[in-house]
Amino acid sequence: MSDASETTKGTRTPPLPDEAAVIARAATGDRTAFAQLMEHYQSACYGLAFRLLSDPDQAADATQDAFVHAYRAIASYRGGVFRSWLLRITANASYDILRRAQRRPSSPLPDAEEGAPELPDLAAVNPVVEATRSELYRHLERALAMLPTDQRTAVVLCDVYGMDYNEVASMTQSALGTVKSRIHRGRLRLRELLMEHRELFTG
Amino acid sequence: MLNSNHPADERLSALAGHDPEAADDAALVEHVTSCDPCTELIHELGALRASLAELPDLAPPRPLRLLPPVDEAPAHDGWATWVRRLFAPALTAGAALALVGAVGTTGFGIPSPQSAGAQPEAFQSVSEALASEAAGAGGAAAMEDDDQPRASAGAEIMAGGDDSRASAAPADQLPAQRSPWPMVLFTGVALIVAAALLRWIVVPRAG
Repeated sequence: MSDASETTKGTRTPPLPDEAAVIARAATGDRTAFAQLMEHYQSACYGLAFRLLSDPDQAADATQDAFVHAYRAIASYRGGVFRSWLLRITANASYDILRRAQRRPSSPLPDAEEGAPELPDLAAVNPVVEATRSELYRHLERALAMLPTDQRTAVVLCDVYGMDYNEVASMTQSALGTVKSRIHRGRLRLRELLMEHRELFTG
Repeated sequence: MLNSNHPADERLSALAGHDPEAADDAALVEHVTSCDPCTELIHELGALRASLAELPDLAPPRPLRLLPPVDEAPAHDGWATWVRRLFAPALTAGAALALVGAVGTTGFGIPSPQSAGAQPEAFQSVSEALASEAAGAGGAAAMEDDDQPRASAGAEIMAGGDDSRASAAPADQLPAQRSPWPMVLFTGVALIVAAALLRWIVVPRAG
């Protein structure tokens, strides 16, 4: 993360100070400006891709795919929160990889049966995050990775990245009722998985 | 939470997630306000959601390629995308037309459609004449002294033969027909120029 702001809780990339101008330059084909944007938001995109895919290499591939899609589409960007726009592209790129992997049962994604994948070093991302928060995040990431793929996808998009039910349904090409059910079942499963660390998130 | 007196856990999760449909469920809300276990579950799920919402961004484990290759220019709009897609086929078609037109114009063995259309009739007359000549010829001796008649027959054949003589007009009376090859050449060159010009105007250059 090139410009991480420090908060008492988790760290998410804030907008660039002159973001609108950089986006405008990137939209006219300025590759330096585009690279500046992607460098700034790469941790945000990678974090989403990693949480959806639970695999570091696939998450990196999905992030790079998202950058290519964003490069092709940035001229059609019509305002709004740039981070959200880029995260939607990343979610789509990640979901494409998920779909491809699900069509190839010979290369299954890590799932509950295989245990959680190795997590990135959260302290390296934000060294000032309190030890307890860091521990909470580690448990949360591990529990998320242990959810079934459909529940994990729904919970990550809705609860971690704040997308509404309709957006999640559209992105995952699922019925609204199905998405709601996955989210609720995913939350309840997470609660079960984190039961022994309940004091970490209930304060 | 399998007690049938309690709402389903998924309903409580919906309430914890501020789902408007669950929040409007008066019976659900009323139960929760008077039920400690359900209130506790909603509290836990709410705290879980809050913790999920503050998960930090994650640094990628390896440097990522931030830019696609240079020749991938961002599309300004649908026009640019279409122009970029059609550029190569248009260029190829233009080059092919120009090549055919150039070869045809310089006349390297390619007959024009007019002469090509006239040939079958001429070839038919020639073969008919040769066949009748072979049938009517008396032998090698007879063939030796009829050079003159054969030459005149050849002239007649090239003019269209006896049958066609009445209907065929003399060559100098035919309407002037222009060769199409210059037009093919022009069309090919125009296609190349138009494709290049359109791409240069519509598709933005990568910096």
